[in-house]
Amino acid sequence: MTAPIFRFNQQRDDLVQTVVERVVAEARDPVLLLNDAAYHELRRLDAAGKDSSRWRKLARSLGGLDHHAARQRLRELADEHAHDVDGNFDPRVYAFASRVLPVGLSILLRPQVLKERGLGDVLRGNALAERIRTSGPIDRIQRLAERGTVVYVPTHLSNLDSPVFAYALESARLPPVTYGAGKNLFTNPVLSFFMRNLGAYRVDRRLRHELYKLVLKAYSCILIERGFHSLFFPGGTRSRSGGVERKLKLGLAGTGLEAFIRTGQRVFFVPATINYMLTLEAETLIDDHLKDAGKARYIIEDDESTRLGRITQLVNQLAHMEGSCAVRFGEPVDPFGNVVDDRGESYDRQGRQVDPRSYVVGDDGQVRQDGNRDGQYTRELGEVAMEQYLCDTVAMTTHVVATAAFARLRAAHGGKDLFALVRRADETIVPRADMLTEIEGVQARLADLDRRGAIQLSTAVRGATASELLGEAERALNGYHASPVLHTQGEGVALLDPKVLLYYQNRLANHGVGWIGGVR
Amino acid sequence: MNPVSVVGGGAWGIALATAAARGGADVLLHTRREGEPIPGVRRTRSLAEAAKHARLVLLTVPSAHVREVGRALGAHLDGHHLLVHGVRGLAAVPSRTPSFEGEDLVTLSTVLREETPVRRFGALGGPVLTGELSRGEPCVMVVASHYTEVLAAVRSAFAGSFMRIYTTPDLVGLEWASALTGILAVAIGFARGAGVGAGLVSAFAIRGVHEAARIAVAAGAEERTFTGLGGFGDLLAAIGEEDRPEVRLGLALARGEEPTSAIAALGERIEALSLAPRVADFAARHGVVAPILDAVAHGLFAQKNAPEIISTLMTAPMTGGA
Repeated sequence: MTAPIFRFNQQRDDLVQTVVERVVAEARDPVLLLNDAAYHELRRLDAAGKDSSRWRKLARSLGGLDHHAARQRLRELADEHAHDVDGNFDPRVYAFASRVLPVGLSILLRPQVLKERGLGDVLRGNALAERIRTSGPIDRIQRLAERGTVVYVPTHLSNLDSPVFAYALESARLPPVTYGAGKNLFTNPVLSFFMRNLGAYRVDRRLRHELYKLVLKAYSCILIERGFHSLFFPGGTRSRSGGVERKLKLGLAGTGLEAFIRTGQRVFFVPATINYMLTLEAETLIDDHLKDAGKARYIIEDDESTRLGRITQLVNQLAHMEGSCAVRFGEPVDPFGNVVDDRGESYDRQGRQVDPRSYVVGDDGQVRQDGNRDGQYTRELGEVAMEQYLCDTVAMTTHVVATAAFARLRAAHGGKDLFALVRRADETIVPRADMLTEIEGVQARLADLDRRGAIQLSTAVRGATASELLGEAERALNGYHASPVLHTQGEGVALLDPKVLLYYQNRLANHGVGWIGGVR
Repeated sequence: MNPVSVVGGGAWGIALATAAARGGADVLLHTRREGEPIPGVRRTRSLAEAAKHARLVLLTVPSAHVREVGRALGAHLDGHHLLVHGVRGLAAVPSRTPSFEGEDLVTLSTVLREETPVRRFGALGGPVLTGELSRGEPCVMVVASHYTEVLAAVRSAFAGSFMRIYTTPDLVGLEWASALTGILAVAIGFARGAGVGAGLVSAFAIRGVHEAARIAVAAGAEERTFTGLGGFGDLLAAIGEEDRPEVRLGLALARGEEPTSAIAALGERIEALSLAPRVADFAARHGVVAPILDAVAHGLFAQKNAPEIISTLMTAPMTGGA
């Protein structure tokens, strides 16, 4: 394989150096940046009761720095941050990992198991591979990956998303990507093995100062300029509610436009959805969602993805279910939201060809950056991606059954608000016949959306009867989640875990199928 | 020279072209009509020429023609153009929200986004009146865009004219404000024609603007745009102005004329008649209580008499404080 990422290691030193050069050269006021860094770091470290003396020293020294010394200090600090961000892609690990991953994440994520069992043994099984379905305009994306840099901007539900997406790319014969992963994940005993070796660079979300953001943006931008296909989760963080993102930050993905402006490198954005029958961290995430907005945690360090047992359980469960994980690639667009053809040419919504350069030329015909304009282009690109997310969402058995179950739950406790509903200690039992009717209703509404191209249905949802869906969802949910979620008892169905039901029904809420009150 | 193209040769388009030319801009007016020569304004029948002439294109066609003209014009535009419309109205389109299958209301810049390759859009609004503008009297206009270069280009196009231009990034807000103010202006004309006292007219105006703001917020607008020049400012101009077509329509309805023939008699395009029921539906769908919009849609245009309409409004459930 000749994808640029395999040259990553040879370029690493040069990459870091280029990042530092760019950040220092484009800094208008080094003292201001240093002061901002010291201010934010002092606040952060003092609040955490950690040693902040080096930043205090920096802050005190700023008054006496001349222009040259300030720039030198900036260079040192930028260099430190750039090295911290720098990823590490090892082609040997990639080759190894991509063969192994299908076997089961549990094994892959525990390298010691590989040592114990031997590679050959591990490679024979292939259960999970058959479970991750990829779909969408894959041929076109393959061609575009040869003509420019592909920037994937998928939905984000789980810490497993990046390994799963990496596998989906491999399985679709698409070249691998670099991506920024939260630095906290690198201390996660389970995921760090992967991260460190699969083109991930590190994003420290605790650092709020401008200099760090500049380093990160320069790093990402230069990767894209050099043709490294990239992956960003534009939701910024995993969806807490389980709902499809309705608000995108794009943030670093905006460097795709910057790379195009700086070098003319063709950049193609590919929105995508990653869909699970079961979400690894469902319980933690929905708990966090239901907390008061102000108390919700931006970084969660102690969820299910740090626990080997839960990951193993999830993978075992997924591996035994048809189509339990689906990655759907959306229509590729240019940085201005225009669709592109196989050759990478851009077209407006009337199918007329348009030159992407025309969006970034000034009155004088020169291409240039413009913070306000480019930020707005990127926001509008986010809107295009969100529209695609809805149409490319793959509705799974658990979503359908949870939607029906939650609707019955609401009907049984009419008038109760969300919090009263999900905090019910007693179980609600609904007649099985009612439950099946409700499921059929959800199926019908989904089929209608599907006909209009407004959603995708998993093969299981498309073909199964309501009774089959209920049975499969019950097995899946109860087989993985900590306590039973719903349970058929004779002619009744007991709804046991409203929170988990809410989480899965939220996937369809923005389609108007699930209850919208749960994602607001 | 500062090149500007104006597409649409109605009274409003001619007024804008005249004002820009008076300020020294190099104006090309696209119109199919013959007309009196305007100093400093050249005419063309070619959209291609209009697109080539200037980066800034002002679109001033009636709202019902925005899509069709936008599509034709779009064939000659590219990403470097700045497209600003001065059109009051909203467009009804099949819903793109999966949860709702009916008709949705979208702004005209949304229509232009579908019909052209342009990204940098803007809209004109505010209390400026066609007459004031064409006579060269001092006046105030609002331009909205997410893009600062659009705001700057419009300001620059009218720099030498006697017009003061305020800017806002709330494009959705200004477009909704212009459209809904057009409906409220009909109500103001009607109230005046029905002999409603100044105190009550003013109350309807204020409550109407608040109501319009609540509706537009559901469409993504900022509320404060409605209390500024683009909303309340625009409507105040209707209270004191006899010339405005919406006000004249309201007066005619108060005399008991039938809406369609009243509009025909005015010889002007007024979108309020078809827009009001759509906005009332939109409000209902988004759970916004809108008694004044309802009164226009289902009272004025349904030819109910003034006492009946006013009685309905005076006894409507209270929404919010004063």
